[in-house]
Amino acid sequence: MPQKTPPRSQTGKRSKVAGFALKEWPLIGFTLLSQTAVGAFWMVTGASIYAEGANGWNSRYLTFPFLAAVVALMAAAAAISLFHLGRPRRAVLALNNLKQSWLSREILFALAFMASTGFLALLVFKKTYHPTLVRVLVGLGIAASILFLASMSKLYMLRTVPAWRGLYTPLSFFGSALLMGPLGAASSYDGLLDLGRKVRPFQDAAAVIALAVIVVILLTIFLFSPGVGLFGPKKATLLELPTAKMYPLLIIRLLFLLAAVLCSYLYYQNQNPRLLPLGFLGAGAAEVCGRYLFYAVYSRLGV
Amino acid sequence: MSLSPWVKQYAFYFDSNACSGCKACQAACKDKHDLPVDVLWRRVYEVTGGNWAKSGDVWVPGVFSYYLSMACHHCEKPICGEACPTNAIYKRQDGIVILDTQSCIGCRYCEWACPYGAMQFVESERLMTKCHFCYDYIDLDKPPACVAACPMRALDFGELADLQKKYGGTRVVFPLPEASITEPALLIKPHKDAARATKDTAEVANWEEI
Repeated sequence: MPQKTPPRSQTGKRSKVAGFALKEWPLIGFTLLSQTAVGAFWMVTGASIYAEGANGWNSRYLTFPFLAAVVALMAAAAAISLFHLGRPRRAVLALNNLKQSWLSREILFALAFMASTGFLALLVFKKTYHPTLVRVLVGLGIAASILFLASMSKLYMLRTVPAWRGLYTPLSFFGSALLMGPLGAASSYDGLLDLGRKVRPFQDAAAVIALAVIVVILLTIFLFSPGVGLFGPKKATLLELPTAKMYPLLIIRLLFLLAAVLCSYLYYQNQNPRLLPLGFLGAGAAEVCGRYLFYAVYSRLGV
Repeated sequence: MSLSPWVKQYAFYFDSNACSGCKACQAACKDKHDLPVDVLWRRVYEVTGGNWAKSGDVWVPGVFSYYLSMACHHCEKPICGEACPTNAIYKRQDGIVILDTQSCIGCRYCEWACPYGAMQFVESERLMTKCHFCYDYIDLDKPPACVAACPMRALDFGELADLQKKYGGTRVVFPLPEASITEPALLIKPHKDAARATKDTAEVANWEEI
């Protein structure tokens, strides 16, 4: 009796379509958690800068619990990323090629962001800070976090991976930070932040930023996403991008984004603060789907 | 990766017309380096394409097939070395690209970057490996195992400049990428049907094997 040959996609090391076999969950966790931490830092320091006229840099927005939470989130992201490594005990060697490797630079800027935020947290905790020193540390934190996300984008924008080389990569990474950070900070204000009478304006701003960023994310998906977007790469390598397989997860992502839009909008209408954590969860689920799809479309030039 | 200029550049030459796809090169490499299952430092790709066309009342075969024996091309601009965060990948003075497994953290970023599939992850060791041109043989003035094993003499090696003088050849044949990306130290005598691969629908037919 002749044996039935299994389909190539089940037997080959590389299937006829890219992705969907990648085990990149540690990287999904690392990128999204660290981007959330960065976005939350931007939101709260942004609010501090806005309030500077009245209170200066020693604004009470920059509380110890909030800054510690940002550092903890970054540390958790770093710990999760170790699961991606074959030899995690050698992880410290990853700083060896700052001259050329964007991965080395990404780690350097992540550490710089953690260090400046950690030092800031320590000063706030001890209540012995000088306003100028706080300004310098906040400035360093913002600079390091921008460079961190820029390095993260560059490391994926490889010359040999057309699906990641376009605008979609930086827009996705900065978009995730600006969506999940503000919503996360506004959702957790009760435990982490001391906003006083500024709670409502802070949450309003977070909801508006989330709505604006979701519009940008939707445009990014429909214009630039690989395999699906109007101007995104369709087949840039030997392998077809798995467009058909992407649609179900893409639809789920869009539904979660819709949930985040509804929560943010309804919060804005009703001022019910319980809607913001729901919006944050919706945005988080949407971004997990989006990041999974991001890794799934990996396919490189050549063989 | 060391930026010091190398004094020469070793390279492989491959005659696609002479290759019969026997995979002796692949087997010799695997045997010499005792590579585990699923790890191939040298791989033989089978490229197929074309179709049957109707000419009058008869169908004329227009199909074609050729082989490409590919390993690490010890590129002049090794993108794997640019990507590697630990500096584990460097070029020797003779242009051979070496991966120091003691420095590898198994992040697989080099594997993402290399367009020739040269970087191979060893699951049991949890780190990357790659062809190192049998530098131990080179240091003894012996040819690499793959070159020595080829019964068709489709493979050769030497200094890139010498090979260019001896054979000429190209560095881009379907499905390989533009040479400008990494400047591979590789010369190929293309198969007579290789030009058709770009205009006819061609594909790698043996992903299961490589």
